Amino acid sequence: MKKYFILFFCLSLFIGCVDEEERPDTPEGNFEALWKIMDEHYCFFDYKNVDWNSVYNIYKVRARGDISREQLFEVLTDMLSELRDGHVNLYSAFDYGRYWRWHEDYPTNFSDTLQRRYLGTDYRIAAGLKYKILDDNIGYVYYESFSDAVGEGNLDEVIQHFMFCQGMIVDIRGNGGGTVTNVDKIAARFCNEKTLVGYSQHKTGKGHNDFSDLEPIYIEPSSNLRWQKPVVLLTNREVFSAANEFTQYMRCMPQVIQVGDQTGGGSGMPFTATLPNGWTVRFSACPNYDRDRNQTEFGIAPDYNVAITDADFLRGKDTIIEFARSLINPYNP
Amino acid sequence: MRILSSILLCLTFAATTAKAQTTTHMIGVGKSKILETYLTPEHFSGTGLTYLYIKDTAPTDTLRRWTTTIEHEVDLSKTKDRSGNTSDLEATYNLYWARYYNLQPIDNLRLQFGAAANLRLGGIYNMTSSNNPGQAHASLSIMPSATAAYNFSIGSQHFSARYELNLPLVGVMFSPNYGQLYYEIFCQGNYDHNIVPTTFISAPTFRQMATIDWRFSQRMSLRVGYLGNYMQSKVNNLKSHIYAHRIMIGITRSL
Repeated sequence: MKKYFILFFCLSLFIGCVDEEERPDTPEGNFEALWKIMDEHYCFFDYKNVDWNSVYNIYKVRARGDISREQLFEVLTDMLSELRDGHVNLYSAFDYGRYWRWHEDYPTNFSDTLQRRYLGTDYRIAAGLKYKILDDNIGYVYYESFSDAVGEGNLDEVIQHFMFCQGMIVDIRGNGGGTVTNVDKIAARFCNEKTLVGYSQHKTGKGHNDFSDLEPIYIEPSSNLRWQKPVVLLTNREVFSAANEFTQYMRCMPQVIQVGDQTGGGSGMPFTATLPNGWTVRFSACPNYDRDRNQTEFGIAPDYNVAITDADFLRGKDTIIEFARSLINPYNP
Repeated sequence: MRILSSILLCLTFAATTAKAQTTTHMIGVGKSKILETYLTPEHFSGTGLTYLYIKDTAPTDTLRRWTTTIEHEVDLSKTKDRSGNTSDLEATYNLYWARYYNLQPIDNLRLQFGAAANLRLGGIYNMTSSNNPGQAHASLSIMPSATAAYNFSIGSQHFSARYELNLPLVGVMFSPNYGQLYYEIFCQGNYDHNIVPTTFISAPTFRQMATIDWRFSQRMSLRVGYLGNYMQSKVNNLKSHIYAHRIMIGITRSL
């Protein structure tokens, strides 16, 4: 019993508090909190060759005590823009801090006016998928966002509808990402064997280079209907995040060709955290790599780089769709 | 007052229908404080509710050498950060299975020493996060534990003061790694130190409860008191604490 008393007493001496330092809710405090969150969690400092300590020195002088919330928001957004990352955002009740140069600096290469010429008004809608058989017996499916739910039944219906088509055009232009499980679900319809499609990694500590080993990502073939004929995947600079991931996966399937513009990138799986003033920051936390262990953070180049020409636009033709049709059916006029 | 009366009536009914030798049903309300650096480094605080059920195989008026006490504790809380813009929802279930050695050094004083096995399941959900909105908690730990109960009277009324303390020792807990997504664990099957051995240094969780029973009938007592459950961990470079402070009220039935 005496030993028990000693154990009890010693244990009670060792009990401490697990706590984290809180920054004050001032411009300086919010700046420090944001800088530290990024310093400890952001995953692309070395890949992008960003010296985060010098960024601190540049922007700290701008986060003075008497600036307004709008000015503070501008300073913090400017600081985050140094990371050149579309997954890095600052959310407040009055604005959304963003870095969108990955698509704003490039032509859109997508026009819903032109798309309407192809889809018409009698196209089908299966959850988030709009689809139609074009005049030359090529299936065309448009997926606007990976946030739009797609069920296995929806995919069965689309593939069944296209069963007698000579190929399929999968158009994800303008798709800014969404849920990764939708990526896995759709990509599984285009593979016949377990396929290595990339690698993932996560941070294991606060250091800029504290990463886990690369873990392979595989796509297993779907047990439902699978597409065996040629596929042309249409991309542009607005293809980002989960859509970029989908592009990476689809390029590993032998029957898939990517046409259009380079994707926008965004290969870091994002996390969020909050600042003392309640603003939320989103940032890339887990880097993904393609199957050759290359980063795809700045996008994936297409097999055929095709842009919509002014001449085609005036004729009501989408150059990229037309090129895709000619790849599937070379005898197209 | 009518609500409190109804709650006490329900607790009395629950205590009466139980078959164990001493059973207690309590509910409590009080402050919750939350830190979960997997979600955000900000602290959250708010109000929480607790339901506690205690089943003790030893009746209060006899003394056995070894007894077993089982406690089921359910905590629910809604908390906000200091800006008031962000909310966390927290739910935790704790099961304590304790084996005690009983002593009676003086009349009216009963001491118990032993250890409790604590199973904890729960999680925190951040209402504004989209990419890492939740953190699950699951742990199994051994906690050296002790209780002291002292019976006394004021006039013709009989009272009992009780104190219980559970201290941390060793255990195992689930935790994602520092920057690991749940998608990696559960969709891709990539495990990375997700089952972590813990000690009283890395998981200094402890719990105390101080109560006073007023025996208003031969077998029934009204119990009021304070329950403090301080669940803490520091594993995989992630810090977490849930401090639950509760004012408790309930009914105890002894056979």
